[in-house]
Amino acid sequence: MDGLALTADVPIADLPARDADAALVRRAVGGEVAAFEQLYRRHAGRVHGAILRLVGMDRARAEELTQDAFVQAWRKLGSFRFESAFATWLHRLGVNIALMDLRIRRDEDAMGDDDLQAAAGGEVPFCAAERGDLERAVAALPTRARAVLVLHDVEGFKHEEISAELGMAVGSSKAQLHRARGLLRRALADR
Amino acid sequence: MNIDNEFAWRNELRKLGGAAEPQRDLWPQIAARMAVRPATQRWRMGLGLAATLALGFGVATLAWRTQSANTIPIAVTATAHGATSMAADNAPLAWAVPANPALATASRELDGASVQLQQALEQQPQAVFLVGLLNRTNAQRMRLLRQAPSV
Repeated sequence: MDGLALTADVPIADLPARDADAALVRRAVGGEVAAFEQLYRRHAGRVHGAILRLVGMDRARAEELTQDAFVQAWRKLGSFRFESAFATWLHRLGVNIALMDLRIRRDEDAMGDDDLQAAAGGEVPFCAAERGDLERAVAALPTRARAVLVLHDVEGFKHEEISAELGMAVGSSKAQLHRARGLLRRALADR
Repeated sequence: MNIDNEFAWRNELRKLGGAAEPQRDLWPQIAARMAVRPATQRWRMGLGLAATLALGFGVATLAWRTQSANTIPIAVTATAHGATSMAADNAPLAWAVPANPALATASRELDGASVQLQQALEQQPQAVFLVGLLNRTNAQRMRLLRQAPSV
């Protein structure tokens, strides 16, 4: 509430990002659609970026899921408690929406950790590619391996968080990451 | 550039992160979807209204039974009939939908509630609490109309 009093008379553009978000969220919770549009403009790129990488660079699907994320955010805005940054809350919501979409594709669930190790192959030296090559190689990974790699190595999630989000054991998350890295190295070495 | 160590590997992958703007503006579709109340919420509202009506009906029945031991509540009955005819005159303001999508949704909800209450009053013309609910709903609808210019 103090934040509201402090920011009431200051233009949004002059506020630090977190305070600006908080002020816009309060206005949006009060039913001001224009305030929520500003939140969309400020955060669409980050949310869409995370979703795009998780769905393997499928742009049409990513745009659809980004819409879902913002519609969900609008509906759940009243439950936002200002304990974390709005950007973090929204990013997490977007990631969850993408993961829910990925959970439908459970074609790899039966694969055990031994199989994952074998699929990862040996230590193939990794020659770094251009960003585009790397993005394409990540996008071509199997769904769950890609999800774990993107969450861990790109978005900075911990294995415990990934295992909770994807409904798998921590050990499976580690094995999937090992497999994903191996497949990625191999794909880039074969270029 | 060759990368063959863990640190550099992580660094390259980390660079994939960050913003990637959608190729088109998604806002118009998001705004359109925001205006539509989800089915589960509509169901909950319906359930809430039904619960309110059931509770009110129970209270009214109890009050009527208590009073009927002494006298027939002529004034209450008359008020209920008067209000029923007033409710019939108060047709839903469906023609006056606010331009703001969020307010338009709210006005449609109120119109729907008003119709349901009038139907309930036709079934239970002696239910005074329904008249109160209907009057309150119509008052909220009028307030909404005054606050927001219609389309």
